[in-house]
Amino acid sequence: MIPEFEPALLRAHSTYQPDGTDALEVRDVTVRFAGVTALDGVSFTVAPGTVHAVIGPNGAGKSTCFNVLSGVYRASEGSVRLGPAELTALRPHEIAGLGVARTFQNIALSPHLPVRDNILLGRHRLTRSGFLAAGLRLPYARKEERIHAARVAEIAEFVGLAPWLATPVGLLPYGVQKRVELARALAMEPRLLLLDEPVAGMNSGERVEMAELILAVRRSLGISIVLVEHDMGMVMRLADRVTVLDFGRRIADGTPAEVQSDPKVINAYLGES
Amino acid sequence: MTTFLELLVNGISIGAVYALIALGFVVIFKATEVVNFAHASLLLAGGYVVARLHPYVGFWAALALGIAAAAVIGAAVEFLVIRRSKAANHSVLAIVTIGVDIVLTTELTRQIGTEVLAMGDPWESRVVQIGGITIAETRIVALVTATALIAAFLLAFKYTGWGVAMRATAEDPETAALMGVRLGRVSLSAWAVAGALAAVAALFLCVFPTPGLDRSSSLAALKAFPAAILGGLDSTTGALVGGLVVGITEALMTGYQNDLSFLGRGIGDVAPFLIMIAILLWRPAGLFGTKELARV
Amino acid sequence: MSKWIIRLAVLAAFVAVPFYLEGFWLQTGLFAMSAAVGAIGINLLTGATGQLSMGHAFFLAVGAYAYVAFSADLGLPTPLAAVLAVLLTGAAGGLFSPIAGRLKGAYLGIATLALIFGGQHLLFNAEPVTGGFNGRAVPPMELFGLTFADAPALVVLDVPFGVLERLWFLGGALLLGAALFARGVLRGRPGRAMNTIRDHELAAGVMGVPVTRYRAGVFVLSSMYGGAAGVLLALVFQRTVPDYFGILLSLDYLAMIVIGGLGSVGGAVIGAVFVSLLPQLLTRYSDAIPLVAAPGSGGLSPAEAARILYGAAVVAVVLFLPGGLLGLFRSLRPKLPRVVSRIPETRSSHAG
Repeated sequence: MIPEFEPALLRAHSTYQPDGTDALEVRDVTVRFAGVTALDGVSFTVAPGTVHAVIGPNGAGKSTCFNVLSGVYRASEGSVRLGPAELTALRPHEIAGLGVARTFQNIALSPHLPVRDNILLGRHRLTRSGFLAAGLRLPYARKEERIHAARVAEIAEFVGLAPWLATPVGLLPYGVQKRVELARALAMEPRLLLLDEPVAGMNSGERVEMAELILAVRRSLGISIVLVEHDMGMVMRLADRVTVLDFGRRIADGTPAEVQSDPKVINAYLGES
Repeated sequence: MTTFLELLVNGISIGAVYALIALGFVVIFKATEVVNFAHASLLLAGGYVVARLHPYVGFWAALALGIAAAAVIGAAVEFLVIRRSKAANHSVLAIVTIGVDIVLTTELTRQIGTEVLAMGDPWESRVVQIGGITIAETRIVALVTATALIAAFLLAFKYTGWGVAMRATAEDPETAALMGVRLGRVSLSAWAVAGALAAVAALFLCVFPTPGLDRSSSLAALKAFPAAILGGLDSTTGALVGGLVVGITEALMTGYQNDLSFLGRGIGDVAPFLIMIAILLWRPAGLFGTKELARV
Repeated sequence: MSKWIIRLAVLAAFVAVPFYLEGFWLQTGLFAMSAAVGAIGINLLTGATGQLSMGHAFFLAVGAYAYVAFSADLGLPTPLAAVLAVLLTGAAGGLFSPIAGRLKGAYLGIATLALIFGGQHLLFNAEPVTGGFNGRAVPPMELFGLTFADAPALVVLDVPFGVLERLWFLGGALLLGAALFARGVLRGRPGRAMNTIRDHELAAGVMGVPVTRYRAGVFVLSSMYGGAAGVLLALVFQRTVPDYFGILLSLDYLAMIVIGGLGSVGGAVIGAVFVSLLPQLLTRYSDAIPLVAAPGSGGLSPAEAARILYGAAVVAVVLFLPGGLLGLFRSLRPKLPRVVSRIPETRSSHAG
């Protein structure tokens, strides 16, 4: 039984109050580069506290869309609003400061660092010690490390990583590394979680576990989750709403059942499940 | 005015030579994603072979051997070192080339010692008068040769199978490999070509009006680095423009040194690096380099 | 327990050196200490954050010359001059930050060539401050009433303590402080951010690390380490020589951190000791070593032999020993199997 995830004991130490009450509004986002239009007038809304899947065949622009949401790509046109904030005008670390966390499709962890340190990176925006404090080992820096390491241990426990906190990430199996990615994103105490193909490369048992983990996160934290996914089974199980992209355009948007039976969607996938 | 024109022509001619060096540097970067800090030693090696052998086999044979030697050394570095590096990131790969550079340069400068070696070229110290300005013959040959080589290279890059393979690899190595491009061959040939171009550049850097090949010749080659980066490390056009910018800047600053004496002696040698900084402040990716899509 | 025994032994050996070894070893050791301080700094920048810099020698020069300027020209007390020299070096690094923040990895390496060549140009031309080709004499440090020079004479436990003996302890203290500070940085929040910038800069940004600012910040920190190393070097040499602070010195530092082991303080120190000791040892024992000839005789000089050796060592380490010498020592200790045996099966640990 996956333990319930207690919302931050450490709200007092956070610099913001994460809450799932803001909708993510993507309006007419267009991304053009090197003569290619990767996204063309894409719009969708993620209602607060829901799981929203973005699917589509390969090359449809799903990763590009994620990169726009996290600030890595600049949108040529359009807007992305999270509550009052306009995300397209912000740099990635500023978007992170608003409580948007993201995992990567190909693992983006530091292989030489242990799991604990990788997850601790997610606490960057919630902590303050700089070069001087860390180098001189000032009391407040040491206290900060202790408190946040405790929180990381809790998160690791929830995600099932407790035995490997001290192990260098590079030594762990792929499925476990993906969980470290998720833990790192959760360590940011986000209000919007972007998961880029969270089950890519996993076997069916691991997929079920990850799906339950994602549901547990939603249940315990009440945050909004956007996921890019290929696996229709996962999408059906997890998503409240689905947006389908093809060639950079939105071709369908609705509940999983609606989308699954949409002829345009079936056409785009040409029978892929 | 004639001074200015003379300096300009000299600058263009030496700039073309820098462009040759920068071009090789950019080709290595595009094909293997390595910033090759050993480039100056490839140049020195090629020049050294020419300088040592020409008394025995004549200039042209020595030149051919020098070009071949530099090409072989370049290929050897790729094959024995670069290909096998377990380097996790590009900084470390660059440091490996620094290691190679240290070894090659130390040994070569030791062999050269305190001598100043002549290149044995047929143009010697003859000068030509064109429209009232005086230019060394070597400089004219340099300009013509460099232009021809660059043109040939760019044509090959665009129209031959080899060129397509090189560009495909630079764009997307995985797909290129899937399409049948032999990545190993592309890398090897990139390094070999770069070495060859560097050897030709060595010749022109060490003939009249410079005294000859000596210990400091590799430092002269270092000026091609700012040329390559201000043009854009992944742009062949950038290498050409960068070479010209550096050559002209250096010639003008050195030529007007007496008027600019407040800037210090030897300002001509430093100026290329300062221009590079100025351009990088304006355009971090260089004049023609591809701007990073992703921002941090 | 054993850790503390080793530490005490090292400390005892360190304290004993000036009483037993002669000037040659003291000077070599001091060079190594200065190199270690500098290497720790460039390691923070290149090893931990992945930003290549060929400009480290420039910051050593700034530190050395600034110390001379502050103490000899402005008449400030030498300890203050030293501290200000380090701060000034940091400011110099800060001036370069529009470049250092925005360029990444090897690109920065090329841009930093401007620091080296521009710096040398200044050193040779700004004669009133730098003394041009000849450099300048370095005022000895005066700390707590003790002058770090040969006079006034000082005898400790029957051993005459000249400038090298006195500087030995100052150097050791500096190195210890520098090492502890860097270790604190690497093990804490900044270190995690730096490593991620090196390994996955996009992930770093997305996780909330202001990448450009961090790159600039580490560049400043690294330059201050260079400045400190420069001050120590100036005190040891007792003279600043512009020729020394050229590109070869920068390359030496890069070789040190690769050979020692990228990304760690211990690696930087090991590499610095290796690269500084090698030419000195070869010079000293050139008669005994077959290939190496006495300087000036036309054969392979000790300096050249050393250079070739560590250039080759850089290549060898990257090809065969990615963790450097430190990695080699670590793997020889019996700790590794504990980590290896912990590779878990995927399902076993999940509760329920």
